[in-house]
Amino acid sequence: KRARRPNHCSLRELELTVSELGLGYESDETVLLRYCSGNCSAHRQNYDITMKHMMQTGFRKKGRKNKVSNGPCCRPTAFEKDFSFLDNKSRYHTVQNVSAKNCGCV
Amino acid sequence: AEKHCNPCLDAAKACNLNSSCKRQRSAYIATCSKEDPNKGEACSKKRCHKALRLFLDRVPPEFSHRLLFCPCQSVGCAERRRQTIVPDCSYKDKEKPNCLELWRVCRQDSLCRSRLADYKVNCWVTPQTVSTCPNQDNHQACLASYARLIGTDMTPNYVDSSFSNWTISPWCSCKGSGNQEEECLNFLRYFTDNTCLRNAIQAFGYGIDNMQNK
Repeated sequence: KRARRPNHCSLRELELTVSELGLGYESDETVLLRYCSGNCSAHRQNYDITMKHMMQTGFRKKGRKNKVSNGPCCRPTAFEKDFSFLDNKSRYHTVQNVSAKNCGCV
Repeated sequence: AEKHCNPCLDAAKACNLNSSCKRQRSAYIATCSKEDPNKGEACSKKRCHKALRLFLDRVPPEFSHRLLFCPCQSVGCAERRRQTIVPDCSYKDKEKPNCLELWRVCRQDSLCRSRLADYKVNCWVTPQTVSTCPNQDNHQACLASYARLIGTDMTPNYVDSSFSNWTISPWCSCKGSGNQEEECLNFLRYFTDNTCLRNAIQAFGYGIDNMQNK
């Protein structure tokens, strides 16, 4: 039986063309997309435990229909600086906040 | 189809995958594409030139020269190569001055003057000589001197997106030279009719091919 590597929230990398980013730009230029993925269960606070309980029974008992996220999420805590590229019609573009720089469970 | 063989696109990829090159490239592109709020003009040429000089100073030639001298076999590639320095801001101007006038402007600036002198030392041999470049055909020295002219008043570039018959020139012409036409054409030939520069750029292309075949 293979020991499974713990899947912590961390920064991952993927090479993509700018067109594949889905931002509406057409450019065959290749970029490195950094993104956040992984598990955040180790970072649960009392808040998260309470919210999970409230979602299951607590809110209904008190007559509320609120929805809350039931745990911390693996998200970027900082983004890389601007990124510039030449599109397929020879125009330059500069875009912000595309690639993550740091990740955290928030 | 160009997607499959575009050395200039490969050069951009190599730069984008290196965090320092990517950051420095984005910095000059953003500066050179930004509108100048003071003048209401397309961009600030002065800031763009400074950003280009910083890029070429800080990024190793293995990245920057690859972007500037990528060997092209298609219009799409050659257009990308021409666009490397963001010519709309760094190269073009509303009017095309006479080359002797541009030369005068360059000589008044110590940076431009010394870099142009450096270019002539490393990229120009008299037509009768056996070798095509000075210092025992030192192509690298010529390419480096050429790159150092980018971001000065004498910024050179490819004049169009032709890949088979490309020409390099600063933004000037010899129209209206009067009795100095001969002198003007002799100056312009340092760029447009320069065997050393031409060979150095073509040899750079072969160098990349050889590396990829290894």
